[in-house]
Amino acid sequence: MSTDTIEILRRTEAPIHPAPESFVRKYIFSIDHKVIGVQYFIVSGLMILLSGLFAEAIRVQLTAPHNTFLTPQQFDEAFTFHGTLMVWFGAIPMVTGAFGNFVMPLQIGARDVAFPWLNMFSFWTFPPAVLILLSSLAFGAPNSGWTEYPPVSLQAGVGIVFWTTAVFTVGIGATLTALNFLTTVIKMRAPGMTFTRMPLFVWASAVTAVLSLVATTALASALGSLFLSHVFNVPFYDPSRGGTVVLFQHMFWFYSHPAVYILIIPVFGIVSEIIPTFARKPIFGYKLIAFSTVSIALLSFMVWAHHMFTSGLGPWVTLPFMILSMLIAVPTGIKIFSWTATLFGSNLRLTTAMLFVLGFLSTFTIGGITGIMLASVPVDWHEHATYFLVAHIHYVLFGGTLMGVIGGVYYWWPKVTGRLMSESLGKWHFWLTFIFFNATFLPMHFVGLLGMPRRVAYYDPAFQGLNLFISISAFLLAGSFLLLFVNAFWSLKKGAAAGPNPWGARTLEWMIPSPPPYYNFKETPEVYATPYGYGEPLPYSAPYNSVSTTPTY
Amino acid sequence: MAAISAILIVLIAIWPINNTLAVAATSDYGIDALFKFMLYFAAPIFVFVNGYVLYFARRYKHRRDEPADAVGIPLYGVVPLEIWWTVLPALLMVVLGIWSAVTLFGLYKPQAGALNVEAIGHQWKFELRYPGLKSSFYGDFYLPIDRPVTMNITSADVVHSFWVPQFRVKLDMVPGMVQQLHFTPTQIGNYPLVCTEFCGIGHGDMRTTVHVVSQADYDKWFSGEQQQVAAASASAGALNLAAGVVSKGQAIFEQKCAVCHNMAGFAQKKVGPGLQNIFSDPAHPKLVDGSAPTPEDVAGIIEKGYSGDIGVMPNAQANGLSSSDVANLVAYLKSQSK
Ligand code: HEC
Ligand code: HEM
Ligand SMILES: [Cu+2]
Ligand SMILES: [Cu+2]
Repeated sequence: MSTDTIEILRRTEAPIHPAPESFVRKYIFSIDHKVIGVQYFIVSGLMILLSGLFAEAIRVQLTAPHNTFLTPQQFDEAFTFHGTLMVWFGAIPMVTGAFGNFVMPLQIGARDVAFPWLNMFSFWTFPPAVLILLSSLAFGAPNSGWTEYPPVSLQAGVGIVFWTTAVFTVGIGATLTALNFLTTVIKMRAPGMTFTRMPLFVWASAVTAVLSLVATTALASALGSLFLSHVFNVPFYDPSRGGTVVLFQHMFWFYSHPAVYILIIPVFGIVSEIIPTFARKPIFGYKLIAFSTVSIALLSFMVWAHHMFTSGLGPWVTLPFMILSMLIAVPTGIKIFSWTATLFGSNLRLTTAMLFVLGFLSTFTIGGITGIMLASVPVDWHEHATYFLVAHIHYVLFGGTLMGVIGGVYYWWPKVTGRLMSESLGKWHFWLTFIFFNATFLPMHFVGLLGMPRRVAYYDPAFQGLNLFISISAFLLAGSFLLLFVNAFWSLKKGAAAGPNPWGARTLEWMIPSPPPYYNFKETPEVYATPYGYGEPLPYSAPYNSVSTTPTY
Repeated sequence: MAAISAILIVLIAIWPINNTLAVAATSDYGIDALFKFMLYFAAPIFVFVNGYVLYFARRYKHRRDEPADAVGIPLYGVVPLEIWWTVLPALLMVVLGIWSAVTLFGLYKPQAGALNVEAIGHQWKFELRYPGLKSSFYGDFYLPIDRPVTMNITSADVVHSFWVPQFRVKLDMVPGMVQQLHFTPTQIGNYPLVCTEFCGIGHGDMRTTVHVVSQADYDKWFSGEQQQVAAASASAGALNLAAGVVSKGQAIFEQKCAVCHNMAGFAQKKVGPGLQNIFSDPAHPKLVDGSAPTPEDVAGIIEKGYSGDIGVMPNAQANGLSSSDVANLVAYLKSQSK
């Protein structure tokens, strides 16, 4: 689509494309960013559930030191599927494909993303990738963890071919989505929406898109080299034929460290939207939050070797990576402090969405601190590849990403479905999840420091007590999610009509009906100021300035 | 909140980490102190973030008697505050960075008079080779107390790792590469040696015990093992290259040398160079130590070891070779040269 077309789309009232009539064009091969967002939400949600089942299988096995529930082979497959599904098939498509697609174009006053057909194509790389990955269960599954370090991953047989192909395929979709989002944010913002007037979720989506675009190429190299090693016996990772084992780790982490920020930066955006809405005041330090997002993204390309402190890089190579990793804590701290400060002098509405965000603040802070501990090489020599590391990643990915995502679900659900969820059920869900989350993952720090490695099907009987406690908490944690499903189904059947703006928010998506009409905005809105000016008139052109900003939930 | 933080800091300060997880080596080089330092600032950060969240959530909660459209105060930022919470954490990270860096270089520093042990990872066991002992050990390792140790660690197959939690140090055992891990055991006791890097279906059971014993006990164990070596070499006698047997040499090569050497051209390096045609390679007319490739000189390298540009070649003691083993190896190497 040329720049001209984009200009026309933005300025005229002409429909982008006629509303589809048939079921297939409306719900299956849709080019509407909102439908695609929901499609991503459903598939990635299912993947998170499936991944959760694998996690529960892991926890059943670990209730006893020499349990026979799973064979070591099955156990290895379980943690490989858990990690792979969670990262590439659950969380990344959830925060970019689902939230990015649904929310970002609405927040910039656009009628769709820049390339709607490409968007449809991106989504349709996803279900085939899922099928490829799952079909490996019938042929010999991959079993060396989501990191698939060679040479051990190359011993697994044909599983690695399925794994690389599946991840490569979702990677294509993710890259194209990134391209699409970046173009959309650059070219399709409503007139008057300067960079400093963009909602923070839009900032987050744009920065994430840059990360995906740059980093995923390194993942492609890592995957390609494994594929070639297995299929054509190319000796990249065979030292007896001149190969170098750590090469893979460099390529993998050059992607996967930025990838952990692909997982969290959109959530920073979600949190930065929910907090001002329910604090009912402007976000504290907008510019510093946006700036810290950008600096985290830049730094995230310069710290990958902190995953390889024990791999033999020597002191002079590890040193800069250690210092730069510690520096990331500074912008991360800025965010946490700014969010907390926003609560000062607020008129706080403790909705379920807000509770999840407050929970996020608490747990993500712990994850950030353990990150600093792992960044200090001497301490990492003790903690690396133990349950302490497992605790760190779950405090940032469950306590961070997933808590934020659930907050986002409670927040935008009325916009997507037009109906409210039950707040009292939601609050129960929050407290149970928050408590059992900490009960599950906090003890993992200790068991790791005391000497339990990660990815073990059997362990030293000395750790049985703690492991049993962790497993029981993990079952209850999984159980707490039933409340979310009950709530969602109840809301779809019986939930009260939400109206355009139940929370009294001020970003553009709340200025139009819920669910939004096919074209989102009949006329392109004009933007006059930051969206977060609580207490001031809405900074949009008519008719988008007439929605009530009094909470009605 | 300041009071809670202070209490936590005091509790951390008096917490004897040693009681929770014994420290049994000086490789600790202040690792526990660093960890405590991080807890010192972690505690107030955690307490203040959570404390303020809870406090604000109570203090500023929307009340029923307020109008439904009430809003908070329009505060867009406070620049001095933002500068503070950028600069203070940055300074803290500088201190942590310097401290960590100093500790880091300490970890890499070899100790004088260290006991050099080769540690090799296998699916799924650890192998240790002691200088002066013929046979390899696969579990229940002995180390003398208060003697610095340098572990030369590598792997014969996939990536493993070498971790004794009570020693606080860990490095990966990477195929095709030798890393050195330095520490000095300081506490008599039995400690687990575990593999933390996923290495296949046996990974969960890849655990054994390291016995740190008194020097006297160590010597007793060592001389017991050594007698077996002596018995073996007595029957073998002094180095007699002419008596080398190719098939025996090949067996020893595969057991002891193939971890680091390929039987292929010089350029096909693993940890050390490939050893095929070592006596007749026009591209490499000289051995790595600059001498001519005569059987005596090759035997010399195998006996004395050599450390040059490529890396460290352990000596016959460290590889546990008797003189007849050396002769067999030379015979085998000869048979592999055109
Ligand atoms: C821990 C790894 C390691 C082990 C085990 C090892 N070597 Fe070596 N070897 C090396 C390295 C490294 C070099 C090259 C030293 C240099 O030049 O820096 C080398 C060099 C040599 C050389 C000289 C090669 C040349 O072209 O000049 C010979 C001969 C040799 N090794 C034989 C053996 C034999 C026989 C064994 C088995 C008993 C053995 N090595 C075990 C690492 C090892
Ligand atoms: C203050 C910020 C952070 C720092 C300093 C930090 C530091 C580290 C370090 C040093 C490691 C490697 C530890 C080891 O292998 O021994 C690590 C692992 C990891 N981190 Fe972080 N981290 C931070 C935040 C995050 C965030 C925000 C996420 C994701 C949302 C994240 C996700 C992960 C994951 C998934 C791993 C483990 C990967 C694996 O080996 O499977 N981290 N972190
Ligand atoms: Cu990282
Ligand atoms: Cu292992």
